[in-house]
Amino acid sequence: MNKNNIKQIVLDIIAEIAPDEDLSGVKSDIRLREQLDLDSMDFLDIVMELRKQHGIDVPEAEYRQLESLDSSANYLLPKFESGATA
Amino acid sequence: MPKTSTASNHYDVIIIGAGLAGLSSAVRLGMFGLKVLILEKHFVVGGLNSFYAKGGRKFDVGLHALTNFPSESSGKSSPLLKLCRQLRIPLDSLNLLEQSSSRISFGEIDLCFNNDFEFFLSEVEKVFPKEKDRFQKLLSKMVEFPAYSVDAKEISTREILGQELGDSLLAEMLLCPTCYYGSARANDIDFPTFIMLFDAIFKQGLARPDRGIRALLDPLTDKLKELGVERRMNSPVKSIQTDQIQVSEVILENGEAFTSDHFISTCGGLETEKLLCLPDTPRSFDLGRFSIIESISVFDGHPRDFGWDETVIFFNKSDKFFYDQPKQLVDLNSGVICLPDNYGPIDSSEKKEAKLRVTHPANFKLWSELSEQKYQKEKCFWEDVILQNGLKYLPLGESKSELFKNRTHLTDTFTPCTIKRFTSHENGALYGSPTKKRDGSTKFSNLFIAGTDQGYVGIVGAMLGGIAVANNQILRNL
Ligand SMILES: Cc1cc2nc3c(=O)[nH]c(=O)nc-3n(C[C@H](O)[C@H](O)[C@H](O)COP(=O)(O)OP(=O)(O)OC[C@H]3O[C@@H](n4cnc5c(N)ncnc54)[C@H](O)[C@@H]3O)c2cc1C
Repeated sequence: MNKNNIKQIVLDIIAEIAPDEDLSGVKSDIRLREQLDLDSMDFLDIVMELRKQHGIDVPEAEYRQLESLDSSANYLLPKFESGATA
Repeated sequence: MPKTSTASNHYDVIIIGAGLAGLSSAVRLGMFGLKVLILEKHFVVGGLNSFYAKGGRKFDVGLHALTNFPSESSGKSSPLLKLCRQLRIPLDSLNLLEQSSSRISFGEIDLCFNNDFEFFLSEVEKVFPKEKDRFQKLLSKMVEFPAYSVDAKEISTREILGQELGDSLLAEMLLCPTCYYGSARANDIDFPTFIMLFDAIFKQGLARPDRGIRALLDPLTDKLKELGVERRMNSPVKSIQTDQIQVSEVILENGEAFTSDHFISTCGGLETEKLLCLPDTPRSFDLGRFSIIESISVFDGHPRDFGWDETVIFFNKSDKFFYDQPKQLVDLNSGVICLPDNYGPIDSSEKKEAKLRVTHPANFKLWSELSEQKYQKEKCFWEDVILQNGLKYLPLGESKSELFKNRTHLTDTFTPCTIKRFTSHENGALYGSPTKKRDGSTKFSNLFIAGTDQGYVGIVGAMLGGIAVANNQILRNL
């Protein structure tokens, strides 16, 4: 598991919950909200899908860590790694 | 990970009511793996927005208009898009047909609107030229007001419109459609709800799924099946058991009991408090009293055959709008007409039959006190009066009354008693209690109210309310 895999996982989730968004040009370092029409309900869905699909818990206080693909990758990588070794 | 319940009669969440709020919250919770049980009193889903068959025809109980149509000018801001995304029902699958045009009619004065907000603005300017600047100022005030936040202040819209507008007729004409589409208060509407409904009706717009309410109910029930959400119909909840801090279980009329970690009730605030069976606790919800009667005619042909090409008409006889429980069985002074066949493009194919629906305020208490025989007699009498009166508000309607009567081959009417039967709301209150609890919380930490008594009303409102309670009270705290 590397950061690129994680970015793809997050993008796949966004494609699932917001099929009407065009994800082809999404930049990693820019906040997702600035590039896509996503609101707090959509971010809740990203969190819930991470939990459902990958068993990863994101506490509500840390939802902000998912604001861009880069920040998501940085924040989630240790979680994915500890999950894999557990 | 969510601690998903395994004991067979213990659930993560029990939902009372399979109306639009209950079904929507169940889909959200089921989607993320929770073990959910829906308990519904009726044998059909949909609650107030259900469907039935009579004389071999299908009727929607409550669908005049699906509000919040994401029109070109309102773009992506429509809550309807949000709820489709949250429930993962593609908007396209609803096959929405847009209204032709609609009208607010007060005596001799008409304000028309369609799904282009600019057109409505031009109509207001044309009919109320002196109000132009004041109306613009009101619109800015409405944009700035935090109407969509859960702690929005429920101030009086009548007062605000009185302060902001110079011509009281414009105020009355704005109150009429917004009250009819969602006020639980007598003769007023709270300002946040007014703003939400103004946006829903005028800024966004009116549409109708081509298959009616089934277009929403079918994908919801299909999803619930897929997600393994259990649903028990014909299962009225008789009581909710508590230990003063938490709810522990619900008991059905037939004595069956079910336990759960969380409970969501969509049957109304006051009605839920009654189920709690705590006689010495003061009620926190006031009794609502606004109810309606609706008469439906099925006639041969198309409304255009009569020259009627509008979709919805909100009418009021005088220049003063009165929105309350009337002193007699029915208040004929104001009402709403809907011609559901005027949604969608004008097609040349010949329509075999069409419907006319006319709604008026009605008094629950008076209707409910009638003997069965008297009830049937009054219903028959008013059905005719209502349809005749409604024709006055359609172009040359009165002169076409004979022709219309001859072409009508089926009528049906439902009264405040019918509404009580479909919702269990005290007083047959269409929009529930005037007291609302937007975040759905109650004094019990694991019991939440969703739908009508959150203050989110109508089809879109009830669904968003159910979603919000599932998200904010349960999913976020897993
Ligand atoms: C004539 C009419 C026209 C309407 N037209 C429109 C329209 O055009 N557009 C629009 O947006 N809205 C319209 N509405 C309003 C809309 O139907 C409601 O606001 C909405 O459906 C409310 O949904 P809900 O889920 O909150 O409540 P409900 O639909 O009331 O659902 C509550 C459910 O709980 C069940 N229940 C109650 N008590 C119990 C119990 N003890 N145990 C188990 N189950 C119980 C009830 O049977 C019901 O199924 C209309 C309503 C009417 C009556």
